[in-house]
Amino acid sequence: MSRPNGPGTGEGADLDPSVRIGLLKAMMLSRTLESACCELNPRWFPAEGEEGVIAGAFFGLRDDDTMAPHYRGPFLAYALRGADLSRLVGQALGKANGYARGRALGFTGPAAMGIVPWVAGDLGTTIGVATGCALGFSYEGSDRVTVCSFGDGTTNRGDFHEALNLASVWKLPIVYVCQHNQYSISLHASEVLPIEQISVRASGYGMPGLTVDGNDVFAVHSAVRDAVARARSGEGPTLIEARTYRLGGHWASDPGGYRLPEVQDAWRDKDPIPRAVSELVTSGDLTQHDVDSMWDEVRQAVDAAVTVAKACPDARLEDIGANEVFADVSEGMSALRGERGEPWLA
Amino acid sequence: MARLSFAEALVEGMRHELRTDDRVFLMGQDIGKMGGVMGGSRGLIEEFGPRRIRETPISESAMVGAAIGSAMVGKRPIVEISFGEFLPTCMSQIVLQAANLHYMTAGAIDVSIVVRTRIGDGPYRGHPQCYESWFAHVPGLKVVMPSTPTDARNLMIAAIRDPNPVIFFEHMWLYHGVREEVDNSPTAASLGKAAIRRAGRHVTVVSTGWMVHKALEAAETLAVEGIDVEVVDLVSLAPLDIDTIASSVRRTSRIVVAHEAWKVGGIGAEITAAITEACFFDLEAPPVRVGAPHHPLPMAKPLRDAFVPDVNDLLRAIRQAMAT
Repeated sequence: MSRPNGPGTGEGADLDPSVRIGLLKAMMLSRTLESACCELNPRWFPAEGEEGVIAGAFFGLRDDDTMAPHYRGPFLAYALRGADLSRLVGQALGKANGYARGRALGFTGPAAMGIVPWVAGDLGTTIGVATGCALGFSYEGSDRVTVCSFGDGTTNRGDFHEALNLASVWKLPIVYVCQHNQYSISLHASEVLPIEQISVRASGYGMPGLTVDGNDVFAVHSAVRDAVARARSGEGPTLIEARTYRLGGHWASDPGGYRLPEVQDAWRDKDPIPRAVSELVTSGDLTQHDVDSMWDEVRQAVDAAVTVAKACPDARLEDIGANEVFADVSEGMSALRGERGEPWLA
Repeated sequence: MARLSFAEALVEGMRHELRTDDRVFLMGQDIGKMGGVMGGSRGLIEEFGPRRIRETPISESAMVGAAIGSAMVGKRPIVEISFGEFLPTCMSQIVLQAANLHYMTAGAIDVSIVVRTRIGDGPYRGHPQCYESWFAHVPGLKVVMPSTPTDARNLMIAAIRDPNPVIFFEHMWLYHGVREEVDNSPTAASLGKAAIRRAGRHVTVVSTGWMVHKALEAAETLAVEGIDVEVVDLVSLAPLDIDTIASSVRRTSRIVVAHEAWKVGGIGAEITAAITEACFFDLEAPPVRVGAPHHPLPMAKPLRDAFVPDVNDLLRAIRQAMAT
């Protein structure tokens, strides 16, 4: 299945209006939160333009499912599981209030959130780890699933190949979502991928592969929802290629001189957020006033989080815990385990 | 009591945990009908079936990744990497993910996995390279190398129960080469402790795996000459039990460190440096290291015999330590 990028694909038209509104709000939160981190930390990774994939992939999962978000735009998954936004912002800045207490780049949170963190400096190993969560679910005979996202460049790693093959051989309950933003830092996909569509790789693993318009959040979510249902019922993994475009640089201060401005402008016109807004207003599910209120709510929440995080001290030596390299059955280290707030978009 | 080979004892350790804890499972290649490389998992498929004893594709990185992920959701997987020579293919999972996850998430996640693998010169002369010191270098990993059947069983139990990633090195020469009476009460050994295999007054020999047995043999030879050798079995490369070694050296005032891995950058380098720092004024002689020359291990038997440190190399090293 393949759809061109552009308005009106019509996929996801069967989604409940509350889900469609939730998806829009999730995109708004992702945009606002990640942009705030980019403003404060020039080395944060802009996810602008890719929110259709991010929200579409992780919205609406069950509480006991596992998420393994891509490093570009990771915070929505944490917010969906009740993370404190000020601790997420603090984490991106290496503040003492961050969940990782200054020990790692900010892609981590309490275990109870069920999110595969991004602690490795490489690309690809999280796909194996996410696949392992699905193995654990399959092993225990439950119907829990894992959704794992990664970039187009990562599909060139051997870890992608090994994990997808293993998941298919064992029919593991996992959905692989390729957040295809067309760039591996400065290299365009056409320079490093010998195929137009990454989804064709799925056939080599004996699993369904499909390409969807990543800037149509409803289309992405509809595809993920179907793949999740398939995984839950024991039919195995699916690879979904969601095609989008990285509007920002690789990192926030990357001038991105390796791209054509006119291509960038064309993609800006396909921004997934105004697109969803227009659909929801046209369908009568939202008024422009509703949309403005949603933006206000999201911006106020993020502004408040930024204020708290900025006021926090940087992580200090006492936060480092040099004696905590190994897990022990001691009290201190288990403190974070049960910690989980109310889901932000409950 | 049962007289068990090293390989049988390893299987006993896994069997004990598989019986008592459904969270435990084993995955690897040829661990089912074939019984594991050199019988290292023999009998487990018959008792536990394919859900618990999982045959995998040749995908070491995915196997370790899958172990880490299943540990994150509460399982206690054991991954069998057929030979240590395949560890480089899953290095990023071990070093970047398994070693880091607990610390980098400020304790939110435990990676309770065991990666077991075979190293060393064995009866079939294949896949002999010893890479254990790489893993001891990385914070967050526990590294063990038993030398006796009892330790093989009890360390395996401890490794499976430990909430941290444990890299478990099984020396191939020991597999069917040593047997001993093993008691009927499987217990978790304490990880991170060295063992004194032979008490002696004149010189401390610290060794690992098969070299422990060679050191004991050398000690008997030297006893006839009046040299009383204390043999310390390192058992754990990480954490390193420097206290046990240092207290031995303070008594003997001489140290020889011997392993089959390359001398350059081997665990012996760390031990001699740490002992020199801790016991400089207790030492009567410079530390002596025994290890393979800095050269890939050759295949032909006479060449192999020339490269793998043997009892004669140990005798020479101990006499050198005693000469000063």
